[in-house]
Amino acid sequence: MDAFQTLADPTRRQIVESLRGGEQQVNDIVAALDIHQSGVSRHLRLLLKAGFVQVRPAGQMRLYSLRPEPFRDLEAWVASYQQLWDARLTRFGAALEKRRTRRKENEGDE
Amino acid sequence: MTNKPTIRIERQYAGPVDDLWWLWTTREGFESWWGPEGFRVEVRKLDLRVGGELVYDMIACAPEQIKWLRDNNMPASHGTNGKYVEVVPLKRLGISHMIDFMPGVKPYENRMFVEFVPEGRNVRMVVDIDEHVTPEITRMATEGFASQLLKLPAVLSARRGKS
Repeated sequence: MDAFQTLADPTRRQIVESLRGGEQQVNDIVAALDIHQSGVSRHLRLLLKAGFVQVRPAGQMRLYSLRPEPFRDLEAWVASYQQLWDARLTRFGAALEKRRTRRKENEGDE
Repeated sequence: MTNKPTIRIERQYAGPVDDLWWLWTTREGFESWWGPEGFRVEVRKLDLRVGGELVYDMIACAPEQIKWLRDNNMPASHGTNGKYVEVVPLKRLGISHMIDFMPGVKPYENRMFVEFVPEGRNVRMVVDIDEHVTPEITRMATEGFASQLLKLPAVLSARRGKS
């Protein structure tokens, strides 16, 4: 599962949102999201596997937090998507010029 | 749904707006630029009214794209189904595309809105696009096309749902 599939699930997006404030235990996430613990744990496992989340033990607790790497990948993707549109709109500009030139020529003929 | 990030792209063109509208809303106009890079478009149906269909084939025409699609077991041509969700002549246009051609990916809707804002003799064209959420589109956007893209001045601005 890659970054986009991981975040395609709304519950996982909510978990990511709730971790933006910093480290949390499972119970804190459960309380914040109002989702059953088993569901949160399952999604956390997937987020761990996909590299979005890391976990560290602190005494009896296990604290979950976000890792920056996959978010950088998403940023890179957004940048490339903008490039795609940049190229598309450059063609749009060229098509616009062409149409106007042709129209002027036609007007000249009349 | 949670708030979906939107990508915003703006360009300014010389007015009047009629020609810009024509490029977006007619068969000939749309085919002349929609692309993307390495693809041409053949419009099958264009019914410009809210709920009306926009159906077209995207056909790979550059060797790199044809090879990339073949290597990824994807056809060199695919039908694209869209519909108009907003039509305000010369001002605003909304198109929803069904992204239903990706093997193994549940079909989903991707919306875009384009707005034409007159500014003196010019027109500012603002395009807001839903961000795609599937890996296949991502790969198309990055691996398939990135190498093709021209180095152009950065005139884009991104607007995210949240900063």
